[in-house]
Amino acid sequence: MTKIEAIIQVSKLDAVKDALQEIGVEGITVFEARGHGRQKGHTEFYRGREYTVDLIPKSKLEIVVADDMVEKVEQAIIAAARTGKIGDGKIFRSRIDEAIRIRNGDRGDSAL
Amino acid sequence: MSTVADVSTELRDSYARESAAIQQRFAATGDGRAAISERTALVDSTVLQLWNEIISCDAKGPKNFAVIATGGYGRGWLFPYSDIDLLFLHGESGIETELKDAVRRFSQELWDLRMKLSPATRSIAECERLDPNNVEFAISLLDCRYIAGDPNLFARLRDKCIPRLVGRDCHALIENLGEITRSRHHKFGNTVFHLEPNVKDGPGGLRDYNVAGWLALISAMEKLRMWPDPATLLPVSSRRAFAAALDFQTSARCFLHYRYGRHDNTLTWEAQDEAAVRKIGTPEAEISSVADWMRVYFGHVRNVHRVCTQLLEEIPAAWSSVYRQFQGWRTKITSADFSVVDGLIFLQQPNALQDPEKLLGLFHFMAEHGLKLSTTTEYKVEQALPALASTPPRGGELWLYLQETLLQPNAADALRAMNALRLLTLLLPELKGIEALVVRDFYHRYTVDEHSFIAIENLHRLKESKSEWDQRFADLLTELEQPELLYLSLLLHDSGKGAQTDNHVEASLQLTDSCGERLDLDATDRETLRFLVANHLEMSAAMRRDIFDPANVKLFAEKIGAPERLKMLCLMTYGDIKAVNPEAMTPWKADNLWQLYIASANYLNRSADERVRTGSDAGSGANLAHLHSLAAVAGKKINIFLEGLPQRYLRIHGASDVLAHTEMASRLGQNGVECGLKQVRHWYELTLITTDRPSLFASVSGALAAWGMNIVKANAFSNAAGIVVDTFYFTDRFRTLEMNIQEWDRLKKSIAAVVKGETDLARMISDRMRSEKSDGTKVKIATQIEFDDRASTHSTLVQVITQDRPGLLYRMCSAMSKQKCNIEIALIETEGQMAIDVFYLTADGGKVSEERRAGLEKALREELAAN
Repeated sequence: MTKIEAIIQVSKLDAVKDALQEIGVEGITVFEARGHGRQKGHTEFYRGREYTVDLIPKSKLEIVVADDMVEKVEQAIIAAARTGKIGDGKIFRSRIDEAIRIRNGDRGDSAL
Repeated sequence: MSTVADVSTELRDSYARESAAIQQRFAATGDGRAAISERTALVDSTVLQLWNEIISCDAKGPKNFAVIATGGYGRGWLFPYSDIDLLFLHGESGIETELKDAVRRFSQELWDLRMKLSPATRSIAECERLDPNNVEFAISLLDCRYIAGDPNLFARLRDKCIPRLVGRDCHALIENLGEITRSRHHKFGNTVFHLEPNVKDGPGGLRDYNVAGWLALISAMEKLRMWPDPATLLPVSSRRAFAAALDFQTSARCFLHYRYGRHDNTLTWEAQDEAAVRKIGTPEAEISSVADWMRVYFGHVRNVHRVCTQLLEEIPAAWSSVYRQFQGWRTKITSADFSVVDGLIFLQQPNALQDPEKLLGLFHFMAEHGLKLSTTTEYKVEQALPALASTPPRGGELWLYLQETLLQPNAADALRAMNALRLLTLLLPELKGIEALVVRDFYHRYTVDEHSFIAIENLHRLKESKSEWDQRFADLLTELEQPELLYLSLLLHDSGKGAQTDNHVEASLQLTDSCGERLDLDATDRETLRFLVANHLEMSAAMRRDIFDPANVKLFAEKIGAPERLKMLCLMTYGDIKAVNPEAMTPWKADNLWQLYIASANYLNRSADERVRTGSDAGSGANLAHLHSLAAVAGKKINIFLEGLPQRYLRIHGASDVLAHTEMASRLGQNGVECGLKQVRHWYELTLITTDRPSLFASVSGALAAWGMNIVKANAFSNAAGIVVDTFYFTDRFRTLEMNIQEWDRLKKSIAAVVKGETDLARMISDRMRSEKSDGTKVKIATQIEFDDRASTHSTLVQVITQDRPGLLYRMCSAMSKQKCNIEIALIETEGQMAIDVFYLTADGGKVSEERRAGLEKALREELAAN
């Protein structure tokens, strides 16, 4: 099993969710996040005061899938989230040792 | 002969059989009261049987030992999966030791019968002492009931120990009960209106029913020093409603226990569906939907919650000298119509509420002072409603009371009280559809009406908040010209959710129109209300896009169109999101909302000079079409007047203003000046329409300053024909206009004379400045001057932020005039001590050159530093 963490633009969240649903991924966790890579922050002046946002609002998704779904999921995220500009985000993969469904105790892939 | 094992098996079978029979009878009848009585009787007989087998073959023996039912079991309310509270009471330690094993076996047998036993062993002396770490035990004794054992021991407990305990420790009991209850209410957000309520522990649930009973019992027992008649405990006006609530809630709780097969008291959506189909607790009522059934539910819990919270307030207040002292100061706010005693509002005249003005005034009073109504006052309100219903108030008078109530810091509580008493839907039937309405949504936690009240409450609470983010929104709230419209829009924004439609916004708009008509709002206010309701989801939607993308900001800002509407919509979005559930407005969302607001506000200021082209529909199409439809007579005059005016003009002036300005412009003649003056809530509005001329804006600013007026806001626009429309909003520092009606005309004539150059303005201003002393106690605001050449294709934008002071605008505009800069558009705002002024300037028919800009900046800084 593999955990896929994706940090994407807020405006792409709906598109990514739809794309994942289309390929049969039903379990997804979403976080409100802030961050930046090479993307610069944003400064706005309002009534003489400076409002600087160094950490840009982002959406972070976590999905745990069976190993044979990993590529498909990543491609779906990339296709839906990409704009081609700096700030599109990143995807990270990590291994998961075990998954357990609380309701009935299912383990492994069947818990996903 | 039967063995203990045989008895156990037989008892187990019998218990299981009888339990199943009770469940079947409940399934057939839905009668919760019968079910809990039967279950109590079943457990009684089981306990007795075991008592005979294990403790003593004599039901009244042994001496000095008894088994007592307490808590819910003692009350005779045994729900299918409730705990069974048993007290093993002994008169002396010897008997306790002697029967220890027997009691253990007895308890084990009950456990083996799958009863959730909650046993306690106490001596009679222990029962008379209040353990501050276990007040719940003392409370449970209030429901004690004899099952078996020494009846004299039980009589000592009931008739001597408990009255003595209560007599001595009533204050501690009440205080603890109050603390536990308030804490429990707080856990549930202090509202009964949850989408998936807990029928036992939620506010207004069975626990509150018990709390009301205990409070009343303790209070009565403290006075009488003996057990009072239970039938007389509660206020007469509440008894019937309470009994009905108990019938309903016991049925609902039994239903839930049987449904889940465990001790679970949550009325989930699925449970609501089934309960509605089976008409649980409502066999006689017309229930055609889940919404209907939930309304019945909320009606009951609301009644129980009301009585419980009233008793929580009234009883401790009657005793506590500290509380009285604290509340005593409140009596100073007693009015001619209402008196305040121990934090509760009473009527000075018992029949006062027959007068609708006093009835509405009562809730204004409540909203202003954050007080609750006494039970008698509530009763009087209910009595007054039938007469009010025959001729309900409407129109301007109703709006006057409503808006004043909405503006008060405790408006939400007043609205809740009005709603609970059915007054709110009588006055605004548009809200009937959302009364206690459950809308199934994973995010929303509250019913639709409660959500609206919480949204209003969220805005009022901004002032108290210490968080940096809330402070920004709190500042925005103080800048609103008509906050009452914002509050009214929050009340109405989801009113359409009661309609059977997917698009609640459309339905809400229809109800908003109806409400606007009912309250006789003027056309401009109705447009604003309509705008807010129609667009209440727009800002949330915009936040889901890239809020730093100028294209998105432009799209959003142009949709909103005017700074005042932007402020209102921002605050509406804040209040609305925060009212979804307590965690909905995260710092992340608040930050994004603020960022979107300031980006849009800046865009609106920097795009003020996009002009109206009457030949095209771009940008101002909807407004133009609307105006033409209103001015069948004005027709061509409107086109001439509007041509070349900034689109901003149409966004900030409603149709009636535009028509009035058109008429004023048509009366101008060669060198005419048309002046309009009116009072608008906190300030005065002067509208000047004339032909453009040099230093015009500076002159009028100076004239107002010379009259002692403080300009807080101004807009200056001109059209293609060179007609200027300048609007000044000012406060009358010396109450000249307020105290002298004749000065209104004199001011207008003075302005006209200044504009025509017939008066020595410099002299007027110096006379005024000489007579005024400067106020030294100011917050220091540093001057900032910013030029922007990109905001407009043909003018230069200058933003000046500086310390506000009398005559400021005149001095700045004069400096600009001296530098040969022409003011095309002026957008003037004041925020406390800070003046935030934006000017679109031209010089020699185009943008202001680099060189002239430097000169202008120098001149402005010198002018501002000198004064």
